[in-house]
Amino acid sequence: MRHTVSRTLLAVALTLGLSGAARAAKDLVVGIPVNLTGLDPADLNDNASQSAARLMFEGLYNLDEHMQLQPQLAESYEATEDAKEFTFHLRKGVTFHDGTPFNAAAVKFSFDRAGNPENHLKRQSLYVMIDHTDAVDDYTVRVVLKYPFGAFVNDIAHPGALIVSPKSVQQYGKEVTRHPSGTGPYEFVSWTADTLRMKKNEHYWRSGQPNVDTVTYRSVPENGARIAMLQAGEAQFIYPVPPELIASLQNSPTITVFDEPSILGRYVALNVMRKPFDDPRVRLALNYAVDKQAFIKVVFSGHADTMDSPMPQLLPFHQKQGSYSYDPAKAKALLAEAGYPNGFESTLTGISDTLAQRGMQFIQQQLAAVGVKVNVEPLEAGVLTAKQFNVTGPQDATIVMNFGAWSSSTGDADWGIRPIAYTKSFPPVLANLAWYSNPVTDAGIEAGLATVDPDKRAAAYAQAQAQVWRDAPWIFVDVDHSLAAYSKKLHGAFMRPDLQFYLRTDASLD
Amino acid sequence: MLDYLIRRLFGTVPVLLAVAAFVFLFVHLLPGDPARLVAGPDATPQDIAAVRADMGLDQPLIVQFVRYLGQTVQLNLGRSIKTHQTVAELIGERFMPTLLLTVFAMLWSVIVGVGVGVLSGVKRGRWQDQLAMVLAISGISFPGFWLGLLLIDLFSVRLGWLPTGGYGGWQNFVLPAFTLGTAVAAVMARFTRSAFVEITAEDYVRTARAKGVPERGVVWKHTLRNALIPVITLTGLQFGFLLGGAIVVETVFAWPGLGRLLVDSVSYRDYPVIQAEILLFSFEFVLINLLVDLLYAVVNPEIRLR
Repeated sequence: MRHTVSRTLLAVALTLGLSGAARAAKDLVVGIPVNLTGLDPADLNDNASQSAARLMFEGLYNLDEHMQLQPQLAESYEATEDAKEFTFHLRKGVTFHDGTPFNAAAVKFSFDRAGNPENHLKRQSLYVMIDHTDAVDDYTVRVVLKYPFGAFVNDIAHPGALIVSPKSVQQYGKEVTRHPSGTGPYEFVSWTADTLRMKKNEHYWRSGQPNVDTVTYRSVPENGARIAMLQAGEAQFIYPVPPELIASLQNSPTITVFDEPSILGRYVALNVMRKPFDDPRVRLALNYAVDKQAFIKVVFSGHADTMDSPMPQLLPFHQKQGSYSYDPAKAKALLAEAGYPNGFESTLTGISDTLAQRGMQFIQQQLAAVGVKVNVEPLEAGVLTAKQFNVTGPQDATIVMNFGAWSSSTGDADWGIRPIAYTKSFPPVLANLAWYSNPVTDAGIEAGLATVDPDKRAAAYAQAQAQVWRDAPWIFVDVDHSLAAYSKKLHGAFMRPDLQFYLRTDASLD
Repeated sequence: MLDYLIRRLFGTVPVLLAVAAFVFLFVHLLPGDPARLVAGPDATPQDIAAVRADMGLDQPLIVQFVRYLGQTVQLNLGRSIKTHQTVAELIGERFMPTLLLTVFAMLWSVIVGVGVGVLSGVKRGRWQDQLAMVLAISGISFPGFWLGLLLIDLFSVRLGWLPTGGYGGWQNFVLPAFTLGTAVAAVMARFTRSAFVEITAEDYVRTARAKGVPERGVVWKHTLRNALIPVITLTGLQFGFLLGGAIVVETVFAWPGLGRLLVDSVSYRDYPVIQAEILLFSFEFVLINLLVDLLYAVVNPEIRLR
């Protein structure tokens, strides 16, 4: 009798002990380079804060780790052929973290809020084309646009249109940025100075998920310290990793390196309204004068790809145009033909971070070899943007060569080319820093936006890309890679091509 | 003493008002548009106008200045342009980490620095002096971020004894406080040594020795007491400086401090935060100056506070 009791007690104790050990907390710590700016998804424009908001909020559609559109809070949608009306069918049985139900009214509230100019929200311009939103019934929403906008569903997948709990906004007003309440897999716990803590949403609509118990974001600005965090096991995912440090992590038994193409394209915008860049032969010459492969080796330690089109390879409707091979002889010949047999002098302006300076100096050396003497001008961020955008028109421009980059934050082809190559995108409106204008390009960009038909969009963007490539208003330099590192125990964590951290809802930690 | 204190404290008010006005003008003269910087590279003119209106930056400068002065006098420091948090909250989150780190760094560095300086002064020219000065030169020369990263690599990654950074328990303070204090200790050591050597040459020290005062008494009672005056001044200055935030150490160790907040705010032209932090640092310096003056009187009763 006593044996049985003590053996039973032992068995019970062992079971409790074992289950306790098996269910040890799965805590994910992510090391990010900057401080978060807020947690109200409609009011964010930086990647770090947006990636955090995505863990707590969801949209009707979502861009997954490969930037493919996936249904999230909507199950399907229909659009009219003229891209002016979109009807979404919502998922049932979803609740916000504060307990209120997710339904069409909440969607209408979120869209109205994001697009309302009186709210002064940072991403309001993405929704300005919405004429009105109707909650047709509890689980159907119809959005009517003021004009056709083929990229609308991508805009809906952008953080600005993540669905917020109407009750939380009514309760907290502007302070909702510190009291986020969404439908996402993680709930807000606390946010102090450098640390954001989130915990698992026990009532998440995907049953059995998430598998990770807590997610913590820690802001660690120093690259070396962030890598040390990963090596010491204090974090399980860190980004970015500078390209020259990737090699040191590649052979680690506990760390995996993430090295994938992004949609960030790097180029030197040439002011086509100023001599000598108004001559297309000069612009072509500069493209032949720069050895892009060598650039990638020197500046990125090999971790980047050459640009083969004005749009990066991973953007939808990208079409390969070719390459301007490294040919200094041809460059000199073109320069001579254009009337500059002895080259000319100019100034290359860019931001003052390490990478940009390295890149600009490399280009300076390459151009010097064909007689083009370039003065490198690295500027602090505030001073640079003032120089770029404190203008009323091309006559005010003070920059003639701009070392810069662009990434389509909505993942759509339109935002990948319109802000930088469209006539109506001259500064200060948008970022067409080359002051480039060609009616053929404009027609392609406009046609691409006016329809949702993928074949028509493909043709339109093919036209625009081909024209920009031919006109070469830029030195086409490279397409960056997304570089990060993570523990081998972590599964389901990525860097998206838009350089934003992405955690799948089925992510897990061993 | 008391009315000296009160007089000094009242005297800080016009100083701070002048600083507030000066900082406002200076910060607003910086090139760069905060609305555009905060709205981001994707922003359209509507987005930027929205941010500008939201923060009252579309008002004429004089209107903004009057509003700013009025708010500051009521101790309302405004909201960050970048995050909309109240500036008081932003600074509040970082004040204790900065203060504690400064205190611990100064504590060990002053004790060790002054101690080593006195030892060097006493053993002038001998091997203890040489060794101490070599260490001091090294301490001043090592770049903070290099030393910090080296320590992280050794103690956090390889040995796993201490965390890589962040604010937390006593373990989190060890490496940052050591790194921050190294340069201070080195400066203290050299400075104390030269003050000591200088005082030792003074007539009254020779007189004390001639009177037959034992060497220990000469060192402690006569030399050190007087050498401490400039050392106290230096300590006060260092303390005030570090309270402004040790940007390099804060960056390397991911320390949530006021230095990083100021540098980030300048990048974004986050006027309210920049203005409030500089005002705070000025206030801290004024307070420290007052404390230093009081300490002089304690160390040397012959100093009268007028």
